[in-house]
Amino acid sequence: MVSAPVATVDPTEPIGFLPRPELDRLIEALQADGRRVIGPTIADGAVVYDEIASQADLPAGWRADQAPGRYRLEHRGGVRLFDYVVGPTAWKRFTFPPRVPITVGHRDGGAVTFTAAERPATPLAFLGVRGCELAALGIQDTVLMAGPAVDSDYAAQRAEVLIVAVECVTAASTCFCTSMGTGPEVRSGFDLALTELDDGFIVRVGSPAGADLATRLSLAPVEPERRAEATAAVAATRRSIGDPVDTDGLPARLLANLDNPHWAEVAERCLACANCTLVCPTCFCTSVGQRSDLDGQESVAERAWDSCFTAGFARVAGGNFRPRTQDRYRQWLTHKFATWWDQFGSSGCVGCGRCITWCPVGIDVRAELYAIAGSRSGARAAAIAIQPPPTPTPVGPPVDPATMPHPPALATAPAVAAAPKAPTSPVRACIARVVSTRPESPDTTTLVLTDVDPAIVAGLPGQFVMAALPAFSAAPISISRYRPDGIELTIRAAGPATAAITQLGRGDQLQLRGPMGRGWPVEAAYGHDVAIVTGGIGLAPLRPLIDAILAERERFGDVRLYYGARTWHDQLYGDELDTWAGRPDLEVALTVDRAGPEWFGRVGIVTHLFDRATWDGSNTVAYVCGPERMMQATVETLGDRWVAQDRIWVTLERHMECGVGLCGHCQMGRYFVCRDGPVFNVAALEGIFGREGI
Amino acid sequence: MIERVSPVRRAREAGSSIRPRLGVVKFASCDGCQLTLLDLEDEFLALTERFEIVEFAEATTNRSDGPYDVLLVEGSISTPEQAEEIVRLRRQTPLLVTIGACATAGGIQALRNWGDETDFRAAVYAHPEYIESLAFATPISDHVAVDAELRGCPIDPGQLVELLTSLIVGRRPQLPDESVCLECKRRNAVCVAVAGGFACLGPVTRTGCGALCPAYGRGCYGCFGPREQANARGLARHLQVVEGRAPADVGRLFAGFTAYSEPFRSMVTELGGVAAPGVAPGGGPARESHDA
Repeated sequence: MVSAPVATVDPTEPIGFLPRPELDRLIEALQADGRRVIGPTIADGAVVYDEIASQADLPAGWRADQAPGRYRLEHRGGVRLFDYVVGPTAWKRFTFPPRVPITVGHRDGGAVTFTAAERPATPLAFLGVRGCELAALGIQDTVLMAGPAVDSDYAAQRAEVLIVAVECVTAASTCFCTSMGTGPEVRSGFDLALTELDDGFIVRVGSPAGADLATRLSLAPVEPERRAEATAAVAATRRSIGDPVDTDGLPARLLANLDNPHWAEVAERCLACANCTLVCPTCFCTSVGQRSDLDGQESVAERAWDSCFTAGFARVAGGNFRPRTQDRYRQWLTHKFATWWDQFGSSGCVGCGRCITWCPVGIDVRAELYAIAGSRSGARAAAIAIQPPPTPTPVGPPVDPATMPHPPALATAPAVAAAPKAPTSPVRACIARVVSTRPESPDTTTLVLTDVDPAIVAGLPGQFVMAALPAFSAAPISISRYRPDGIELTIRAAGPATAAITQLGRGDQLQLRGPMGRGWPVEAAYGHDVAIVTGGIGLAPLRPLIDAILAERERFGDVRLYYGARTWHDQLYGDELDTWAGRPDLEVALTVDRAGPEWFGRVGIVTHLFDRATWDGSNTVAYVCGPERMMQATVETLGDRWVAQDRIWVTLERHMECGVGLCGHCQMGRYFVCRDGPVFNVAALEGIFGREGI
Repeated sequence: MIERVSPVRRAREAGSSIRPRLGVVKFASCDGCQLTLLDLEDEFLALTERFEIVEFAEATTNRSDGPYDVLLVEGSISTPEQAEEIVRLRRQTPLLVTIGACATAGGIQALRNWGDETDFRAAVYAHPEYIESLAFATPISDHVAVDAELRGCPIDPGQLVELLTSLIVGRRPQLPDESVCLECKRRNAVCVAVAGGFACLGPVTRTGCGALCPAYGRGCYGCFGPREQANARGLARHLQVVEGRAPADVGRLFAGFTAYSEPFRSMVTELGGVAAPGVAPGGGPARESHDA
């Protein structure tokens, strides 16, 4: 027996052999450190991960027969503990639980408070983490901890996890870790790694904590035959899996097939039940729900696992951005295998096969990928290869498109195509106070706020805040003016949360988080003419831009504002429109959809204000805000006036809950609209701007 | 637009101590959903402080023909009188909320819609000529506009509290229309369809029950009715083609408490599965298909 302390950690080199009965010594050592040991155990006809007390809780002699839509435990006898491969549980259940309270809100008259509902982290040990699962934990680490925003609950719990990995010496028919490069071998990312043989385990250490643990075990030397047997077993597993998914150029092949008719074919089989996303060890999307007492004075905001397959996921007050099952399936598959690279620098899939096994109708992602994206080496390759590479991703703070860095195209180098995250100024939360309110239209009110965090007051035109009252969901609201002592928010009562905010009066409080997102790049128009085209409440996020342009008016050429509204009553900022119209250095043109007796101006859609104008758009930078269809029409009309697409900036609406790129709701192609937008350069949206169901 | 109306807040803003008038009425149903209100116990007393319960036969001898501020309606429309009464009640309330599978989907009695109502009547009653009933049992929404629905057989007490709370606070009630599977997975229940081979309606059924049946090792029988985008046809095809179940067995799966809701209704019509009057009682075949 050797139990020499390990000076340096080499995760590839076995340090000893753990005889089978000694596994309990390992479990006891973990428990002695105050950790709850989570490992595989049998419940309700499956091997699930739950707390275990000893080796006796592990599924000795059990294997799982897995196929698309089918899982059956079989007792084959023998002593092997880890031949079950993977079951329905992902480790994220413990690091990223299905329900987590986030804030406690309290409302007393007009006064509100919010306190973070912090949970103490529990010291845990994960026993039996596979190669694919290690990769999945690493991916969630990137998504939730690598910034710019960090999920503090996840980070706290993740720091308390010790990992005992296990190499796979058998595979399920649904496994494809080999294609995704995550297994069956276990190479790094663990504290301790085991490879199971009949009489015990080959042990490797991967961290100082693992090394410390190893010193407390009675390890025998590793005999060469045992080592060879373990290596051969893992190699045989690799061979049995083969290479079922051709990942060569897969992101580009998928994104080139957004209009493939096969999406609709899958949707006839897909139940949109969300099981694939919930068993997936990397899926991270969540929604926030509110629970409150009967009067709404005390409320708890709780974050729960959600899925891009649910109806509410992409829904906003005006409709649903992904109404059909085929839209949702396409979002899931293209995110996992393509746009995840842009966002996080890796695939979102680790090849564990859970989404195949636990799909109640047995949809096999490997087959669907082939049907939609073909194979680089297959017959479809020629047709796929001519597809253009993805459009460049704008990164960092708003810059002139001419100087925008072009990340490498996905098609050639997926591993390095990840866009650096937009450097976001730190998001601050504060309790702001209403100074005054001003009705703008029958359903729209401007709140003048003070007690606003200086970071928010120092925000950029086009940035937004998440505004919240206890018991209501938070609403993303564009800042409609920066003032020396605060900000203004112009809010349309589109739903209950915004209705409650518009009902606030002088002295009432609300919570603001911000400033969020990327704003309008004012400097992109230095030396150029400016066209501002907007409709309805779309003028609100553009008002700070107009303020900024007027503050240094001499740096711009001709400045034109085109504003449409449903009726005269729906025009925002009536007095200011008059003031602006009176300026000699600002051209203001207004139109309404429906005129009343009080309206003597133009009637019709906003693009009619300039489709016959005489100005030359080749030196114009345009800023556009309105409903997506209006913005599409505007971009077309601007194009007719020779305004280049890379000089047109739009701001997009999507369902937003967190505002910092963690909840997943606002994804649009490769972007998180909350974090990478809401202001986008139209050229950067090529292929997705105006596309149905994205 | 239920979320825009807050009867309690409206009363407060009017400077009044008058509580909004809550009525609970029933049509063709078993009263189980109304009893959920009484089963709330602790919250029920708090609710009586915020609502004036003016009509609730299970709880009070006070009666009111209206008007109400909020009316909870249980049961389906099964007789000519009921069809008239629901129209009258709709005029008495700005907010009409249907509660339970009978009111929202027609209920189990809507299975008669696939047969001849006179045959059912003859099979059940000694003197069928005494009974006056409609040929179809139908949900309330087939007769009048409905402002909100609480699904389920019976309704979920948590959803009832959420609805009443949201009425008081003035927010949108959180009544998700996603599949039962989400709640099943969140609560860590092993999938009874994949691991147990059960026929389970969870993927096409609206959540709200907390995945009660799958968590206790049986398939969901769809008592909350179809969810948004319910791909009943896709599930039915899988159960027949891949799992080899007989069409009538699959039809019977959908022929439960919410059978008359589309798209479950189309599946029952296409695949069969509703027993004719006079066939052995007890719902034996339907039960078998769940427990298989």
